Amino acid sequence: MLEKVFSGGKTEQKVIENIKRHIKILCSASDCFKKALVERDKDQMLCIPDLEREGDVVRREIISNIYEGAFLPFLRPNICRFVEIVDEAFDVMEDAALEFEYLDSESDREMEEDCIRIADINLKMCEMLLIAFEALFRKEDLREKNLAIRIYEKKVDEIKLDLIKRLRKREVKDFWEGKILSDFISYITHVSDVIEDASDYLYIMNVSLR
Amino acid sequence: MKIEEIMIKKIESVEADAPVYNAIEKMVDKRLRSLLVNPRDEKDVYGVVTVRDIVFKILGKNLNPSKIKVEEIASKPVICINKDMEIEHVISLMNKFNIARVFIHEGKEIIGVVSLLDVMAAALIERAKGGSVA
Repeated sequence: MLEKVFSGGKTEQKVIENIKRHIKILCSASDCFKKALVERDKDQMLCIPDLEREGDVVRREIISNIYEGAFLPFLRPNICRFVEIVDEAFDVMEDAALEFEYLDSESDREMEEDCIRIADINLKMCEMLLIAFEALFRKEDLREKNLAIRIYEKKVDEIKLDLIKRLRKREVKDFWEGKILSDFISYITHVSDVIEDASDYLYIMNVSLR
Repeated sequence: MKIEEIMIKKIESVEADAPVYNAIEKMVDKRLRSLLVNPRDEKDVYGVVTVRDIVFKILGKNLNPSKIKVEEIASKPVICINKDMEIEHVISLMNKFNIARVFIHEGKEIIGVVSLLDVMAAALIERAKGGSVA
């Protein structure tokens, strides 16, 4: 079945390659985000909006190719939705990057370490999403890949719970300081949720194609 | 894969002479299944107290956890390994000693802990990547 569906012509191959490119850009953005956090470098964080724009260009190309007739009609909405979810991950990461710009650089060390751990897991999740997407075309069962992504997401959830607990005890000097820190944590922990959604969608596609 | 890559660096501990009730409170609050027991003095060693110890040695026998010290039910010394140890060796070690967690040390300091659940998660992720820990 998969061979028939994906054996496609040039347009299908182009879409597949572009989706891989799209996910690879997300991996680069996650990597850049993590490095900027580790180095506390606000300038380096500017790579995120750049990569988000690059991702947008690729997304538009994918959607155009699909509307031009790539893939069988029943598959098109699923592929488009998957690409849109990956794009949402870019948006959330960009939101986090924008908050980082205004974040007080003297936030406590423990909180910073947790954020770096989350950024590291987000990167690993992106890499696993790419592995899962590539596996889809090798007719492999995505169950194990999907489980690995869920394990990562659970780890982020655990860190998030702990972080929020500590955040509530933290003394906030003014409204904006509190809001920016709260939004920043909310965005970086949401990235993993979105990647998990993308992985679930990929798994559903995998099951529906059996 | 080395154990350092999957170890949990945040370790919750309890004092050896604290009542077991303190340990119970900490475990419930932080949803933990074990706590590191700090050495009493420089000559003493680290220990570990688990939910298992509390249920079987205290609550199951209807003893008062407020009147018993942690060190009375803790296991000592803890099984410690080096952070460079490969996961497959850790699995063998856990199997051999029938333990659910091992601690990671650097010199005299305990720097991390790895439970069976962490090992399972790491093994599953490696499988998903196409590799294995064994």
